[in-house]
This record gives sequence, C-alpha cells and structure tokens, in this order.
Amino acid sequence: MRKILTIAVREYKAMVATKAFLISVIMMPILMFGSILTVNLVKNVAEIKERKIAILDPDGKIFPILEASANARNEQLKASLKVEEKQPNADEKSPATKPALKSDDGLPSAVKGEYLYLNRLEATESNDELRADLSDKVRSGELYGFVEIPVGLIDLPPAEQKILFYSQDSSISESRAWMTAVVNEFLKYQRLTAAGIDPLLVAKASLPVTVSGMGLVTRSSGGSISEAKEKNPLTDIFLPMGAMMFMFLVIFMASQPMLESVLEEKSQRIAEVLLGSANPFQLMLGKLLGTVGGSMTIFLIYLAGGIFFARNRGLMDNIPMELIPWFFVFQLLGVLFYASLFMAVGASVSQLKEASAMLMPVWMLLMLPIFIWLPIVQDPNGSLARWISLFPPATSTTMVLRLATGVSIPLWELVLGTILLLVSTAVVVVVAGRIFRVGMLWQGKVPRFSELLRWALTG
Amino acid sequence: MPNAIELRGVTKRFGTQTAVNRLDLQVPTGSIYGFIGPNGSGKTTTLRMILRIFQPDSGQVIVLGREAGQVADDRLGYLPEERGLYKRMRVRDLLTYYSRLKGHYDCQSDIDDWLRFLQADSWGNKKIEALSKGMAQKIQFVAAVIARPQLVILDEPFSGLDPVNMETLRDAVLRLRERGTTIIFSTHDMDMAEEMCDTIFMIFRGNKVLDGSLEAIQNQYAADLVRVGFANPDETFPEIQGINDCRRIDRYFEFRLADLRQSSRVLQQLAEVRQVVHYEIIRPSLHDIFVRIARPEASPIPELVNSSS
Repeated sequence: MRKILTIAVREYKAMVATKAFLISVIMMPILMFGSILTVNLVKNVAEIKERKIAILDPDGKIFPILEASANARNEQLKASLKVEEKQPNADEKSPATKPALKSDDGLPSAVKGEYLYLNRLEATESNDELRADLSDKVRSGELYGFVEIPVGLIDLPPAEQKILFYSQDSSISESRAWMTAVVNEFLKYQRLTAAGIDPLLVAKASLPVTVSGMGLVTRSSGGSISEAKEKNPLTDIFLPMGAMMFMFLVIFMASQPMLESVLEEKSQRIAEVLLGSANPFQLMLGKLLGTVGGSMTIFLIYLAGGIFFARNRGLMDNIPMELIPWFFVFQLLGVLFYASLFMAVGASVSQLKEASAMLMPVWMLLMLPIFIWLPIVQDPNGSLARWISLFPPATSTTMVLRLATGVSIPLWELVLGTILLLVSTAVVVVVAGRIFRVGMLWQGKVPRFSELLRWALTG
Repeated sequence: MPNAIELRGVTKRFGTQTAVNRLDLQVPTGSIYGFIGPNGSGKTTTLRMILRIFQPDSGQVIVLGREAGQVADDRLGYLPEERGLYKRMRVRDLLTYYSRLKGHYDCQSDIDDWLRFLQADSWGNKKIEALSKGMAQKIQFVAAVIARPQLVILDEPFSGLDPVNMETLRDAVLRLRERGTTIIFSTHDMDMAEEMCDTIFMIFRGNKVLDGSLEAIQNQYAADLVRVGFANPDETFPEIQGINDCRRIDRYFEFRLADLRQSSRVLQQLAEVRQVVHYEIIRPSLHDIFVRIARPEASPIPELVNSSS
C-alpha cells in the first residue's frame, strides 16, 4: 500500500504541481465560455451597414409602403444609437432602446445596424437583361439586392402573390425577412378592409397570452413552501451542456497526461526501474490514484469557483447543490474509466503519434454524448437518454447532462448506471493492467489487435 | 556464505522463441559478476527474471535466498542501460522517490553522501533534463544504489562516459563491493569486464557459454591457440593436419589447433615447409573469446567452458 501511495503522490505532483496545470486550469473556462462571451460582445457592438435595394414595382403600390417602413426603421435605429451613445450602460428596459426591439406599428423588429435605402426602378417590366445588370451591381457592391414585385400584386389570387428578392445571401437575409413581414402585414390589412372587417379589431382580438414556464415548488423540512421561479429556456438548455462539457474536459485533462506519463516511462526505460521496485498492479493503481486525485482537484477548484461566482452574483438558485455528490461520483468514475483506457493505449505504443490511431475509438466513446446532447436535454427521461446513460462509456457524461436539466431521474436508473459503470471500470482497470504489464516492456513495432487481445485476456 | 543468486534450469520463452534455455548460474555474495553476450542473446531477459519483472517458464530463480515471486524485491537495485530517469523531475526529488519506492524513507543523508562521492553535491535542485549524459549516468547510478540494496544490477553503467567519469563511477562500484554488495555488471566493454569482474558469465543464443574466473576462461581458451611467425610471411603454405582455423594478424598467424597436445607435431610440420621464427602459445583476451563465440558464422553454440578459479 505504501508503494501505491508513493507512486500516487508522485503522479499527483507531476500532474498538479506544474505551470502547465495552472495554465490549463485558467485556460479551460476561457476556452469553454470564451466563445459565448465573444458572441455576446460582438452582438453588442453596433456595426452600421447600409443596404441599398432596388425595387421593381410597376404598379407603384407596394413601394411607398416599403419605403415608409424602411424610413421609420432607419429613424428608430438612429434614435437607438444616439441613446446608446449617451447611455452606454443603459438598462434594457429603457424606453429609448425599446423601439430597436419592437416597433409600435406592429411591423417587424428593426435590425440593429442596418440602414435600408430603397430605390424604385424606372423599368416597367423585368427581363433577363435587367436581372443580369442588377446582379452585376450586387456583385460589385453597388447594390445589396433587388426585388421584383409582379404587376397587380394586390389583386392576384393569394397563391400567385409572390415577390422575388435577389441578393447574395437572400436565403438568410434579414432584409428579406423584414420585407416579407411588411408586405404580408400590408396585404392582410388590404384583405381585411376589402372584407369589411376592421383591422384594428382583428389586431386587438389577436393579442397573445403569455404561458410562463415555471420551476417546481419545493417544501422545506420545516414545512415552508418556496415560491416557484420562472424558468429561463437558455439556462435549461445550456447549463446541462456546460456541465457535460466541464466533465468531458476534466476527463480529458486527466487522461492526456496519463497517456504522456506512461509513454515517457516506457520510452525512457523508467518502467524497468519501477517494475523492479513495484509490481505492475501497484504501479498501475498508484498512477491511477494520482491521476484521479489530480482530476478531482480540478473538479473541486471549479466547483468552489462556481459556487463563489454564483453566490456573488446571486445565482445560487441555479446551482443544484443536492446533485453535486452525483456529479462527484460520475466524474470520479469517468476519469477512472478513461484514464485506464488511455493508460492501456500508452503501454501498447512507443510514440504519441502511434497512440492517435488507437485512441480514435476511445475518443468516439468519450464524445458520444456531445453528438447527441440536444435530444437528451429536450427529453431527459426519454428512451434515448435512458439507454445512452446506461451504456457505461457514456454513463458519466450523459447522467450529468440529464441531472443538470433539473428533471427528476428515477433513482433506479442512477443506481443501475453507477453499478454498470463501476463494474465496467473494474473490468477496464483489470484489462488495462494486463495490457500495461506486458506493454510496458514491449519495444519496437505496435502490437497487432490480436496481440492486444491476448494480453488483455491472459496478461 | 550462500550465493546471492541461483538460477536452476531456468527457461524463458516468448511465443515460439526461446530467449533463455535451461540456464544454471550461481553468483557468490559480495562478488562482481560480469554478464557479457551479444545483443539479443538473452542477457536482459535473464536480468529481468532476477529482478522479478519476468517470471521463468520453468526452473528456479533464487535471489538473496528467496525464490522469485510476483512481489518486487526491495533488496535489489537496478541501473538500466541509458535513460531510466524522469526528465522533468529534480535530482533530489527523483532520488527520494526511487528510494521510497524501495521502502527506504530516511534517505536524505544517503543522497548527500552519494552526490558528494560522485562530485555532484550541487546538482540536487537541477532538473534531470538539464544534466549532461555523464551527469545523468551518475544520478542513475545513485538511483540504483540509494536504497542500500544487497544486490545491484548495472546494465552498461559506463556506456558513453568520458574517462574521468568512467573512473569516478568505477570507484563507486568498488565502494559498493567494499560494503559487501553483490554486483552484476552487464557490459560490452570487455576491457572493463576484465579489469573489474571476479567472475565472467557469457550467454549466447539463450545458452550459457562461459562461466568462471577470467583466468580460468583464458586458460581454457588458450588451450588451442598458437601464434606463429614466419621468416617470409607472404609465402603460402600447404594444409597442415591438426589446425582447425587460421587468421593472419600483421606479420603473425594465429592457428587454432584441434588439440594443443599436438602442438609439437604441428610446429614440426610447419618447420618442414617454412622457416619458423616465432612460436607462442597465447592467452586470448576476453574480447577475442567473445568474438570467437559470437561471430556471425559461429554455429552451432559452442560447448560450455565452465571453470572455477
């Protein structure tokens, strides 16, 4: 036992007491949340674009509507930018910034940062020559796009009322979306009026009712009942994903150094010295123990950091404290499972590049939940979620993903998942130990799969 | 005094290949025992069985009075050929780790003592990767002996060292012997083996081919070798009965005789056809004996020359 502990302490120090560890502990959240932060920062930067759009409207009936709406939208944008200049930290609820989100005239929300300049074409009918000329102007940047409105649009049967919007990004164009809404709103108004129905009455009758998504109410041991809180759809989706990614990264941060450590011991012939002092089982167990200790240190650092952050920001309600023991168990078993696999691979090869091919299936297993996280989060107690979380290589990350949604998971599933993972981890540790014992002294070519299988079965 | 190591009919196979074949060996306690043999002859496999890294397929490996089992023996120290050190560890941390791994916890004064002896007092805080090859070799030696082992296995300890470092390490090995440590010393440096070893053991293609004191081995191999000088060495001479092998070295010819008792008759025959100016029965060096046994055309495996001093 003392030998195992001696080896474990060295492994732990080699993993934790390094600059690389400190850097990776700092870098991990930056990498993880950096992209989200960047998107938010970019979103808040007002990038002013000018969109010049040519409109072919032979009747001239739609163009004035579009032009008026575009002007109103431009004014709103101008006003909101002025307000932002004056109040850079203005509250979102400020009435001055509100128009940027929803205009009062029922027209669609203004697209921040886009001034629209519409220009009606003189031509009375469209043809290929005209389309080609206008397309060239779009390509050269003179125009953003052009629009063809058919003659007598208002009087056409609804099925034939079709406007063509040409631009380089027309399928995803915000301007096209804006135009669609404006034209449809106008046509609806026309149709209601023609039918003798007051459009304002219809608008009033169509006012939507909000159905708020609430969290469940809990009763404390003292009998007091806490108030339900409105749920945030973004938190419901991204908190579980964040928890799963965190677990994935901790497993990665533990497994990769394990691979490198085994490779170093093998290539530098340290293994021979170690195996002259401790048997392979002691050596392997010591290494695993040290690695698990290192990864749990990362886990605890981030847990403490997360709680500190949540407490300072008043977000403690979002941290499911009662689930932390489960997170801990699954994190620990996940690290043990994958570190053993990485160790076996490290013992089987002589160089890092040889390890890449052998690690491919291990990576696939580890990343499986990342490919299917969304359907699992959308239905945490569905068949897919249940069966994937009972598949041992995916149990740790998937169970955490499910738990983090806040949906109650049947206890038997948690217990069964833990048992299956425990048993599989034990099997993996034993098999990895056998491969490790033979592989550590194996030099030269990479062993064939049949050889690996023989090592795994007989040691 | 009992033997430090006893191997009795030890065989080790890897798949269909027999790495070590029915090997018998007795290493007396307190001796320096030289292990020689060409690459791939079964030397390392034998050492690993002594170290309990490998288990024999058959036979007995008794080390320091205990038959080898699954448990590593803390009374053994091992210096592998080159490397064997964690590059990113500091010297003192590494030596402390290796010592503790052998169950020797109170090791700081031993570390100081050995570093001082090897003129490496100031290296304690250096990282291994910052050491030169010679320096690393010395640290590797200390790592092998720091836990005060009763038996030390040194695999090519002098490989790549300059003469000064070689001398220092040689003194360290002799210091160990003075303390009663048994030393197994594997080397390709035949001069060093001749100089330091009490007993030489040679393994070839998994079989023991030499085992005894240097003098006894040389005497055995001297039994068939004569050096002859002719007045005109460039002249050819006819085939002479009783000579198995012949090679020319400068102005002399070395003849391996079928039987040294026929030496006079061979000399007589040579004198009949040529003018002999020099005739000497020679003692071969360990290098010569090694080459004779292990040269590529050597086949089959020579018979064991087992002599005691």
